[in-house]
Amino acid sequence: MEYKVEAHRIMSISLGKIYNSRVQRGGIKLHKNLLVSLVLRSARQVYLSDYYGGVCLNAQHVEAKEWELMDGDQEKLIPASEESLPSTTACDQTEAAEVPEAPQPEETDSSLAVEGPEDPCEAVEGPEDTSSTEPQAEQESSSSVDSTCDVSVPSPVVSEPQCEAKQATVSSLDCETDANLAMSAEGNSHQPPKAHSCSNRKRSAEKKASHGSPVKRTKVTSSNADEEEAEEMDTSNVSNLITIFGSSFSGLLSKDNSEPEAETDESDSGSGQICCDQMLKNLNPWNTAIVAF
Amino acid sequence: MELPLHCKLFLDVHLIPDSADVISAVEFSQSGEFLATGDKGGRVVIFQREPQGEYNVYSTFQSHEPEFDYLKSLEIEEKINKIRWLPQLNSAHFLLTTNDKTIKLWKVSERDKRPEGYNLKDEEGRMKDISKITSLQVPVLRPMDLLVEASLRRVFANAHAYHINSISINSDCETYLSADDLRINLWNLDITDRSFNIVDLKPENMEELSEVITVAEFHPHHCHLMAFSSSTGTTRLCDMRSRALCDQHAKLFEEAVDPANRSFFSEIISSVSDVKFSHSGRYLLTRDYLSAKVWDLNMENKPIETYQVHDYLRSKLCTLYESDCIFDKFECAWNGTDSVIMTGAYNNFFRMFDRASRRDVTLEASREVCKRRAVLRPRRVCVGRKKRESDVSVDSLDFRKKILHTAWHPTDNIIAIAASNNLYIFQDRHINRVFSKTFWAVFLVHSSLNLYTI
Repeated sequence: MEYKVEAHRIMSISLGKIYNSRVQRGGIKLHKNLLVSLVLRSARQVYLSDYYGGVCLNAQHVEAKEWELMDGDQEKLIPASEESLPSTTACDQTEAAEVPEAPQPEETDSSLAVEGPEDPCEAVEGPEDTSSTEPQAEQESSSSVDSTCDVSVPSPVVSEPQCEAKQATVSSLDCETDANLAMSAEGNSHQPPKAHSCSNRKRSAEKKASHGSPVKRTKVTSSNADEEEAEEMDTSNVSNLITIFGSSFSGLLSKDNSEPEAETDESDSGSGQICCDQMLKNLNPWNTAIVAF
Repeated sequence: MELPLHCKLFLDVHLIPDSADVISAVEFSQSGEFLATGDKGGRVVIFQREPQGEYNVYSTFQSHEPEFDYLKSLEIEEKINKIRWLPQLNSAHFLLTTNDKTIKLWKVSERDKRPEGYNLKDEEGRMKDISKITSLQVPVLRPMDLLVEASLRRVFANAHAYHINSISINSDCETYLSADDLRINLWNLDITDRSFNIVDLKPENMEELSEVITVAEFHPHHCHLMAFSSSTGTTRLCDMRSRALCDQHAKLFEEAVDPANRSFFSEIISSVSDVKFSHSGRYLLTRDYLSAKVWDLNMENKPIETYQVHDYLRSKLCTLYESDCIFDKFECAWNGTDSVIMTGAYNNFFRMFDRASRRDVTLEASREVCKRRAVLRPRRVCVGRKKRESDVSVDSLDFRKKILHTAWHPTDNIIAIAASNNLYIFQDRHINRVFSKTFWAVFLVHSSLNLYTI
């Protein structure tokens, strides 16, 4: 899938640019970073365009759980998320189907759910995409890049609200597990504060919440990351994000607790490339952050 | 046919993009007598047109210094983003210069006489011995060598949270606007401690940010009209009479994007990098990455003319994205009669388009081809095989050599081209020549570093 390789490459480059913009003289340039974020979003959508293979079948099943999760307290998040782990697993398996290294039975329902609110247009085109040629899929997904699509176009997909909720959960789980595909009980060992803060971010940036999850999982799968390694990187992910945006990271820091701030020092660990990989797993907080300054 | 070559008039070129001498702003004065350039190091150089027609250095001063924002731990670049001349009201000349955060009003005045014969001071300025003074004298003004002084008259600071990208002086000559990524402020030239916000695009939730302001400009004749362009490719015309906050536009100029040309980088290349009203005030010229468009103010849904500046780059967008070239902001310019538009490109090429005949020309501004009084040869970029020896293939274009800043004399056919740290001034040999001949003579070549005549 050439376009996926291309899309992935563009995503890495974009993240590298955002990372480097932090150390640029004169401060972060809002215009350039906004454009880079748009490219990143386009590339991501193209990268995931293959996921729109079917209708959101499981959405209704998990709907009840998700809404409970959304409305409930923060403390409920952990038990609720544990509950939803099976659905996450299903989700992950769906994305894993995309990755050559780990072929899984096709379950495209949750993939559509994940992408739902972000691209109602794409949700409609989902069924079409599976049979379409690559360039066409790329084109169709690219054509719905415009973020105004989210707000102004009423979603033709009935299950979209459920997808939205589901994706919020999925995304929050991402934050916790750092997108590990083999998940089972792994997800249980989450750090409660992190989950807390992550879900906060996700809710406030619902539209962009889906960014992180599928890409994250796929990335981990494709890079064959170790489960433990994924969890270790979780901490540095957020810290990298924090350090990337430095002191102007007000939006994110206000929601996070002191934990990320403490980790700020250990940042700058990786090069831009490593950070890219890490950030690909954590796109949503980044997306929030990039405009938060 | 070439004219005999004369000596070059500049120093070595340092093609280091980060050099403090890279020119970042070029602007003719309203009469065209003066030309101001600003560079990355915060310096402004003003050239004056001599009676023979040549431009020579008139004044040089340090406009902005690097600053540090302690609150955000950010360095503020001293690079001059824009220069705008005020209409001349008396013998002095005023210009606004701006960097990312601060706008300054400079007065450039000449002094060619000085008072001599003070009672208490001697010629060197030392105090005289009072006991030795026996008579009173009245100081008289005697001619002296011309001294050009630049003095700072106003500092308009602390009004922009984001990077200032444009300033524009109103036709009322009393107010001006300054625009950053999200806001546009209206100032009075005499009042520095307050400004009015007239456009605010900052969303409640910054996460919903979808567009930023790229350029803003006042209408040349109507003091209530201003236009600003955005990163989404739209240009808005705002009427300041309708409401105080002009978030709602009076007109929105936007062309539907051809879906066939969609790519990852569609948004970036549609971002408008420059907006210029025509001298007549009837048209708008906008520049995006690959094209220049002329809009009639009366028609919003599409431009009346579209000029492809370097469409051959469309297939190279990914490479240009990697090298950051896709973020280059090219300026554009009208000629005095609004019949020709000009804009820069890569490889030190710049292009001119004649609106009536639809003919265009590509010229190069570089030391190799620009000898004094030489005639510029039109260049061609070919996508495939070279048809002529002088053709340049797309793959051999040097993307480090970019012409971002160009200016056209308000009335005459004189253009100023900034290529890295070199300033080229070209003049048409025949002032009244019809554009279709497309030959331009190299009139003068300057370097912003130093000048010497060989």
